[in-house]
Amino acid sequence: MSVEELLAAYATGELEGEERERVESALEESPRLRSELEQYEAMFVLLAAAAEEEVKAPKGFRGRVERRVAIVAYLGAATNALDDLAGAYGRAILYYLRLV
Amino acid sequence: MLELSKTMKLDDGALVERAKSGDRTAFSQLVARHEDVVYRVCFRVLGSREDAEDAAQEAFVRAYKKLDGFEGRSSFKTWMVRLSMNVSLNERSKRKGTLPEAPMPAPAPDPERELLASEAAARVHGALQEIQPNHRAAISLRDLEGLSYKEVGESLDIAEGTARVWAHRGRAKLREALSE
Repeated sequence: MSVEELLAAYATGELEGEERERVESALEESPRLRSELEQYEAMFVLLAAAAEEEVKAPKGFRGRVERRVAIVAYLGAATNALDDLAGAYGRAILYYLRLV
Repeated sequence: MLELSKTMKLDDGALVERAKSGDRTAFSQLVARHEDVVYRVCFRVLGSREDAEDAAQEAFVRAYKKLDGFEGRSSFKTWMVRLSMNVSLNERSKRKGTLPEAPMPAPAPDPERELLASEAAARVHGALQEIQPNHRAAISLRDLEGLSYKEVGESLDIAEGTARVWAHRGRAKLREALSE
C-alpha cells in the first residue's frame, strides 16, 4: 500500500516496523502528508465521538422478533407434520396456503 | 419465567445449543444480548432507523432459520454481525440510487457530551453514506464497533488482510467526504 493509504493506520497507531518507518520518513519530507495526517487525526476524534452515540434497538424490538420467530417455528412444524401426513402433496398445499 | 432464569447465566454457545433443540426462550436471550449491535450495524449501513429495524429483524429471523449451520467457528456475535451486514448490504444494493434519509441523531437526555456525540454521529453517518459499501462496512466495524481486523474479516467473510485494506481505503475516502 502507498504511504497515503497507510497514513490513517499511522494516525491510529496500528503500524509497526518497516511500514511505520516508511510513513515517518515520508512525513518528515512532505508538508502535504503532515497536513493530511492532521485531517486524519481530526477524523478519528469525530469517529470516536460518533462511536459513543447511543444507538440502541428500538423499544419492543425483541418482542417483534419473537413473534416473527414464532411464526417461522410454527410454519416449520406445520410443514413437517403435513409432510408426515401427506408427503409432497401436503407440502405443496401448505406452500400454496402461505401464498394466499 | 423459570425457563428464562435458567438460561440467564448460560454463555452464547450454550444458548445456541438450546435454541437448536427448539428452546425459543434461549433464542430470545440471544436476541436480547445482541439486538443493539445488530441494530447499530444495520443503521450504519442503511442510514435510516426504520430500514435498520426491518433489516435487524430479518437478520435475527435468518439466524433462527440457519441456526443448525452455526458451528461455533466464530463467536455468535461475529456470526450475527455477518448476517446483519449481508441483509443490510443486500437491501442497500436493492435500492441503489435512492438517497437515504438524513440520519436522525438519537434524542439525548441532555449532557453536552451526548449532544456532541450525536452531532458527530450525524456528520459521520452522512459521510459514510458517500463511500462504497464494502469500505463503509469495514469502517463501521473497525472504527465504530471496535472490532479487530480478524473479527472484521470474519464478519464480512473476507481475509484479515482484505479487511485491513478496505478499512485503510475507506478511511481515505471518508476523510475526503468529511472535508467536502
